[in-house]
Amino acid sequence: MTGMATERAPGATVEFDHVSKVYGPAPAKRRTASPGAVNDLSLAIPAGKICVLVGPSGCGKTTTLKMVNRLIEPTSGRILLGGIDAASRGVTELRRGIGYVIQQTGLFPHQTIVENVGTVPRLLGWPAARIKERSEELLGLVGLDAAKYAGRFPSQLSGGERQRVGVARALAADPPIMLMDEPFGAVDPIVRERLQDEFLRLQSDLAKTILFVTHDIDEAIKMGDLVAVFQQGGRVAQFGTPTELLASPASDFVARFVGADRGLKRLSLSRLRDIELRPAVTGRIGEPAAEARRRALADPLPYLLLVDGQDRPVGWLRDVEIEGDGVLTEAMAIPMSPLLSPEMTLKDALSMMLDADVHTGIVVDRAGRVTGLVTTDILGEFLREPIEVSAEP
Amino acid sequence: MIDWLLDPVHWSGPDGIPIRLFEQLAISGASLLLAALVALPVGLWIGHTGRAATLAINIANIGRAIPSLAAIGIIAPITQAFDPELGFKVYPTLFAMIILAIPPILVNAYAGVSGVDRELVEAARGMGFQERQILLRIEIPIALPVIAAGLRSATVQVVATATLGALFGFGGLGRYLVDGVAQNDDGQIFGGVFLVAALALLAEGGFALLQRVLTSPGLRLAQSSGQQPAA
Amino acid sequence: MIDWGWVGDHLGAMLGRTVQHLELAAIALAVGFAISFGLALIVTSYRWIYPLISGIAGILYTIPSLAVFAALVSITGLSIYTAEIPLIAYTLVILVRSIVAGFDSVPGDVLEAADGMGYDRRERFQRIVLPLSVPLIVAGLRLASVSSIGLVTITATLGASFGGLGFFIFEGYHREFPTEILVGAVPSIVLAILVDIAFVRIQRRLTPWAPEQAVRRDTWEGLPSGPRAG
Repeated sequence: MTGMATERAPGATVEFDHVSKVYGPAPAKRRTASPGAVNDLSLAIPAGKICVLVGPSGCGKTTTLKMVNRLIEPTSGRILLGGIDAASRGVTELRRGIGYVIQQTGLFPHQTIVENVGTVPRLLGWPAARIKERSEELLGLVGLDAAKYAGRFPSQLSGGERQRVGVARALAADPPIMLMDEPFGAVDPIVRERLQDEFLRLQSDLAKTILFVTHDIDEAIKMGDLVAVFQQGGRVAQFGTPTELLASPASDFVARFVGADRGLKRLSLSRLRDIELRPAVTGRIGEPAAEARRRALADPLPYLLLVDGQDRPVGWLRDVEIEGDGVLTEAMAIPMSPLLSPEMTLKDALSMMLDADVHTGIVVDRAGRVTGLVTTDILGEFLREPIEVSAEP
Repeated sequence: MIDWLLDPVHWSGPDGIPIRLFEQLAISGASLLLAALVALPVGLWIGHTGRAATLAINIANIGRAIPSLAAIGIIAPITQAFDPELGFKVYPTLFAMIILAIPPILVNAYAGVSGVDRELVEAARGMGFQERQILLRIEIPIALPVIAAGLRSATVQVVATATLGALFGFGGLGRYLVDGVAQNDDGQIFGGVFLVAALALLAEGGFALLQRVLTSPGLRLAQSSGQQPAA
Repeated sequence: MIDWGWVGDHLGAMLGRTVQHLELAAIALAVGFAISFGLALIVTSYRWIYPLISGIAGILYTIPSLAVFAALVSITGLSIYTAEIPLIAYTLVILVRSIVAGFDSVPGDVLEAADGMGYDRRERFQRIVLPLSVPLIVAGLRLASVSSIGLVTITATLGASFGGLGFFIFEGYHREFPTEILVGAVPSIVLAILVDIAFVRIQRRLTPWAPEQAVRRDTWEGLPSGPRAG
């Protein structure tokens, strides 16, 4: 389709300013100072980022989310969207400018998929042709063939497909802010992972400000640019990047919530291309052995990596066993460590190395050429490095 | 109306309240019993085996749509041919009542039994229950509330049709309504209205209570927590 | 057994009575629906009224119609009101509960999504609640219309100017003329069945989005069980 020059609306900032939500009689009438669902929450979320609200059940994360589009009204405090107090705008007008995705999708069963997606544009009074075009564009964006799905009804779609429609529907009017309440919770793990990956890809194009609620810490770490860990009563135990949470949990609660395997989780956050690899000492096939032997022995690693003419790894040579005369041949090499791609996460790299029962992995580029070595020591170093907790996320 | 009801004259004799009441109760009870005798086994069996379900449901739906008056009217000439006396006064109403009571009982028996969670039934089968045991020990107890609801609805139907029977020569409490209108006797009319209404409400209320009683406590809890639909 | 000659002679009358039958039922349905819808709307705003309405409806439904007709005779004589008021009342009883059940049947997540996306109350009702209530409302209409067809026959007791096809049933019975009874009984049964089938079709047609089995409302869930045919 011809590129409809859609001005992608940039995300807007979301700020909670001493927001509280208390149910029941007014605080003055209470006999005990029972905490509300959300207590004095102040949080500033920058534009264009995914901020995950994570925490145990009943901690107030969903309540917080729903206060943004005023499905729940705060008892006190203000919520500022792009600097403007949410309470100052008409409630339906406000909601039409915020995308909303919920776990059970809430797709309208009596409307077709394309009608569902076009809901907010229709409410806003867009011309019919534009609505249709936009709806079909969005279906494509979320990975659904518009020709196939447009005329179907929600009951005819699978859970994963319905969730995609839910996301498309939320994006229809191109809102600067999106609220997502456990959107991928109702599907099986395989589908969930695909949806997460595709959504992250989408967001890298769209750069909306997204508030994402989940109870799953792994999802929070994967999806969030920033993560706010909630405790009972809507209190934020820690607010920072996933790395900060994993490397320096601010309290026992956060440490426990994040999980005892937070070291491993951190490994999944970085990729091989992000870290400094150990240079490989190589010897080419056909090279004089004595040369190679000297070079190998000079290096603390007791092995020499044998490569071919294009620098592709062939095998390891034990440096002390390199015969003095003759040249290096393929037959001398012993089996290799796993070949790793720079795109791989450290966690996956470690996993492969453990499977192969080696300490060293060989990192190769797309052409198969050796770029460096990664060892378990290097990974351990990585985990031990202190990270900077930035003041400005 | 109060005067009419309190007048002892109306409590004695062939036109007295006790007799009329008896007539109404007798025919209602008889028809309910006979209808249940036919409808319950069939409904339960269909519910358990699932066979002939569509046929049964369709027949039942048709049965429910039949106007009572038409039913009585059609049967009258037939039974009259067999027995001029009773065939004129009693049988039309009786048979009509039976025919009209069968559908709700049957449909609810079917719905109740087939509505039992199939996985439960499978589990029972897997544990070694025989088919009859499954029906008797598992499906029926769980289905009881729905079955009772069917009986309850049949009762309402039956009481109403019995009342209509008065238009076709039957006695019963409906007689007061018909005679009262004919004689322009408001006291009699409202006396009849009161009696008929009281009977209908008591009967229905009784079955509602029965329904409640027959719902096992476990089911009742599930109902209130929204897991099981109340009949 | 059947005097076809007589039938042939009275085809006109049969048609007339059939039309009358449908008219009486239609009036009851139309008026009943209008009032019920209004009541249902009130219930959505003032939920507490519902148990009261539902209770009264339940009681009225249980009382045999003949009693209601008879009671009215002493008040409104043998007029169209005596005929229609009970008919409308029974329609009301069925429809209020069906309409409210219809409104209640809209899933919570759909309502939440609608609110979250910026539907206001009125639009939400028109575009979301109402369309999704249709299955249960139509089920109620089905019940009410079949009931009405049955009840119209009973209005024949009010005199020759009423009764629709029920007129033939009574006349035939009193004259001990089976043919006439059948002329009244059979068409009224057929009419009731046809109306029932028609509504099932309508229900299916109006809900293209629903999986087939959702339309199989054989057990009249939540509604007073079964049509009142008497």
